[in-house]
Amino acid sequence: MSEFEPKIVAFLCNWCSYVAADAAGVARLVQRPNVRIIRVFCSGMVDPSYVIKAFASGADGVLVAGCHPGDCHYLSGNIKALRRSFLLRKLLSELGVDEKRFRLAWIAASEPTLYAKTMNEMTEEIRALGPYAPPKPGAPAKAGAMRGAA
Amino acid sequence: MRRKKLAVFTATGCSACENAILDVHYQVSSLTGWVDIAFWPYLMGCQWGDLEKGGPIDVCFFSGAISTESDREAAVKLREKSEILVACGACASFGGLPGLSNLAREAQSTPPAQAVGEELALVLPKIEPRVSGLAQVVTVDYVVPGCPPIQSLLWTALQALVCEGESPTRLSFATSRLPEALAAAVAAGIPPAPGSTFAGERAVCASCSREKQEKKFQQYYRPFEISADPGRCLLEQGLLCQGLATREGCGGICAAVGAGCRGCFGKAEAVLDPGAKMVSAISSTFDSSDAAAIQAISEKFVDLAGTFYRYTLPTQCVLMSGPEKE
Amino acid sequence: MENVTLAPLRWVEEPSQVTILGDEGRWQAYFQTTGVRNLSGMCRGRPVEELPRILSILSPAHHLVSAMALDGLFDAEPPAPAANVREALLQALFFKNHLRKLYFLLASFSNPFQPFSLRGLPTTKELVPQHMSARIMGHLALSQEAASILGGRSDHPMSAVPGGVSRFPKEPHYPRLAEIAAECSRFAVELANFLGETVFQDSIIEEMGLGGSFTPMSFVATNRGRGEIVVRDPMGKETDRFPTKEIFRNIGFEKEAWTYQPFAYLADHGWRGLEKDVGGLFFVGPLARLNGGENLERPQAEEERQRLVNALGPFPHFTIRAACWALAVELVLAGENMVDLCFQEKLTGPAMRTMPTGMNQEGFAAGESPQGLIAHHYVTDERGLVTNVEILDTAAANNALRCLIAGSVAEGTLSPDQAWGEIKARIELSFLPF
Repeated sequence: MSEFEPKIVAFLCNWCSYVAADAAGVARLVQRPNVRIIRVFCSGMVDPSYVIKAFASGADGVLVAGCHPGDCHYLSGNIKALRRSFLLRKLLSELGVDEKRFRLAWIAASEPTLYAKTMNEMTEEIRALGPYAPPKPGAPAKAGAMRGAA
Repeated sequence: MRRKKLAVFTATGCSACENAILDVHYQVSSLTGWVDIAFWPYLMGCQWGDLEKGGPIDVCFFSGAISTESDREAAVKLREKSEILVACGACASFGGLPGLSNLAREAQSTPPAQAVGEELALVLPKIEPRVSGLAQVVTVDYVVPGCPPIQSLLWTALQALVCEGESPTRLSFATSRLPEALAAAVAAGIPPAPGSTFAGERAVCASCSREKQEKKFQQYYRPFEISADPGRCLLEQGLLCQGLATREGCGGICAAVGAGCRGCFGKAEAVLDPGAKMVSAISSTFDSSDAAAIQAISEKFVDLAGTFYRYTLPTQCVLMSGPEKE
Repeated sequence: MENVTLAPLRWVEEPSQVTILGDEGRWQAYFQTTGVRNLSGMCRGRPVEELPRILSILSPAHHLVSAMALDGLFDAEPPAPAANVREALLQALFFKNHLRKLYFLLASFSNPFQPFSLRGLPTTKELVPQHMSARIMGHLALSQEAASILGGRSDHPMSAVPGGVSRFPKEPHYPRLAEIAAECSRFAVELANFLGETVFQDSIIEEMGLGGSFTPMSFVATNRGRGEIVVRDPMGKETDRFPTKEIFRNIGFEKEAWTYQPFAYLADHGWRGLEKDVGGLFFVGPLARLNGGENLERPQAEEERQRLVNALGPFPHFTIRAACWALAVELVLAGENMVDLCFQEKLTGPAMRTMPTGMNQEGFAAGESPQGLIAHHYVTDERGLVTNVEILDTAAANNALRCLIAGSVAEGTLSPDQAWGEIKARIELSFLPF
């Protein structure tokens, strides 16, 4: 295939968004195949260094999905994820990672269609942005640049 | 006992690290018992020819970041000649302040060789596409971090590697900050495990003398906006201090003077990426659950990359340290 | 064409070399800086209040001039005690820098790491008695201690902030500072006497290879902290005087393709290269500061300056010996200044800083660092992030001087079978006092 297929890493929380993803599969909702799922117990346990590691390891986009505020199985784990997301997005954009590549979403267990929609939207958005390549000094990160070219 | 051959060299940086060795003052003159200076251009005027003709070197302290082709060649030459190569100071250990230029938009260009008369005679070494730390170019045996390294840890490194612990000088101050295995090796006079860093394992907070109460960031302040209370943790007052993510060993000198730590000792042992660690640590203290309020606090922060990776961009920023990872 | 490269250079901080090209008996020497630091790349995008700590990579005094530029940018005039702390730090830095250079000078023919048994033998050229070496090291330690107390650290200080200093010295520091100042001042006079008797004599100077001189050119210095910069021509006559804020309008920077270090030159004269017309060139440093021939306000320093004038004639001077002697004069001056400043009443007060009231988005400052005149100019955006930075450091200011010195040493003394090692040593010694 000559078209760019983004690799998206999704950290899904065990109690809500993972269940939604599972349900989306069972219901055979049409989904892009670009996601790699990592199940975590709570979106609040996703340390910013996991997100950075994901990008460094080849991801073109990262999604962190948790329960809606107020519904967290651990009460406020998702709020912790919310708190981190602003500074993390800022840091990433200073390092050449477009803001659209990192997404934080609230997806309840009963919302498989929302999950599929989020995933599909994100895939297309990142396809339009192109592959992620670590920034090189002297040139702002260009969309479509060859990844891994040192 | 055979006298050890010592080399000291700086690539691109400043002269503070070499002067830091000289600044170990009275103790440094006691090195005369153990050391022959084989190659120390800054102090002795040695030329490259002296290094090439001379025998192997026992210990080389290399400072400065790798910014040009000739820095790289110097690193390779000294690595080949030296039994033990020590990255001395933040520039060699992590890339240092020169590494910040990796965030710059414009790349520097090498002028073409200049003709004099009819021949191309004046050549400048090519500028590398990015500034690197020493370990990204050659294998490094030990690291002495800091900008510049503090006297006690530098002296400990010299003792451990050149004198092999035989000097009677007191080491207790330094060894109290070093991890157990390293301290034991230094005190016993045996070379520490290769790859060791001459600094602590924990974060600077462990040795900072400021009082730590509860961490709740209500508002972030730039250093010129408020005057810090001298007794209390800077982070708790809304001033950025990177001690959380930084290796201890300096005793918290910057925080003691009211200037927040900027991480010249590099990341602490348990940290993957200092920027990620700082984002996590600061964000988790925001005193709000409301998205709009959190966004408002976050907006105030400026230049995250340049601050969190002030000394460590080329080597410890996971996204920018390139394919040659440490 | 023959091509010899002398590298690395002793006592020179930046990676650099002297390349000597020979063409049928005619030699041309080029002092090339081979390292790049990309200061503007390091500074752009940084919060401007971080610049004092970042720019101390150039030299510790840059930290202070940077803070001065921020005082202007933030409209915050430091309260008197804070200004005194900064000035005391500067004097301690002067003392340490000059003492270090004099130590290098005296140790230039001996190996400080030589086994004790080999020292003092008739076969080794030992200018400095053993106890003097130890005393010099001891006083370097003292001045470093003073600089650490006043600045947080001596090599990369961080206590100067916009509007003042981040903290005053603590109670027990004051008597210690006074002690150090008195001791350093005493030693400076002792060392100056020693140098006058043993080193600055004609015979020794020739033997050490310090008898050289350089092309007389203009010299630039501040008028002793009164807010102006003075330019004088090779005769010592004043040709220009302007407020420190205007320095970047009066100085230009030129890049030559054979060195990474730009050259600073006098803007109204223009850059005409290094070959024939030296009219636009200038130098800075201890000799430049004294070359105006003005009296010094401190008695012992003035006495030492008079000794120089009695031995070498009135200022201006363009010899390496005068440059070395200028270091000794300024050492005594720094010692006396430290004594004047280092006591409690001057270094403490109700406020250690004036909180900034506004942000002008532009700041200027110029001042004397131990190695010469330096200047900073910052432009920021509305958030205080640096968009542009202009810096005059002594490497740029004295680049032309160094090129000309390398040229005159190499070209004046070369013969077909020259010992390159000796030429290198001579060039390095001639660079040392600048």
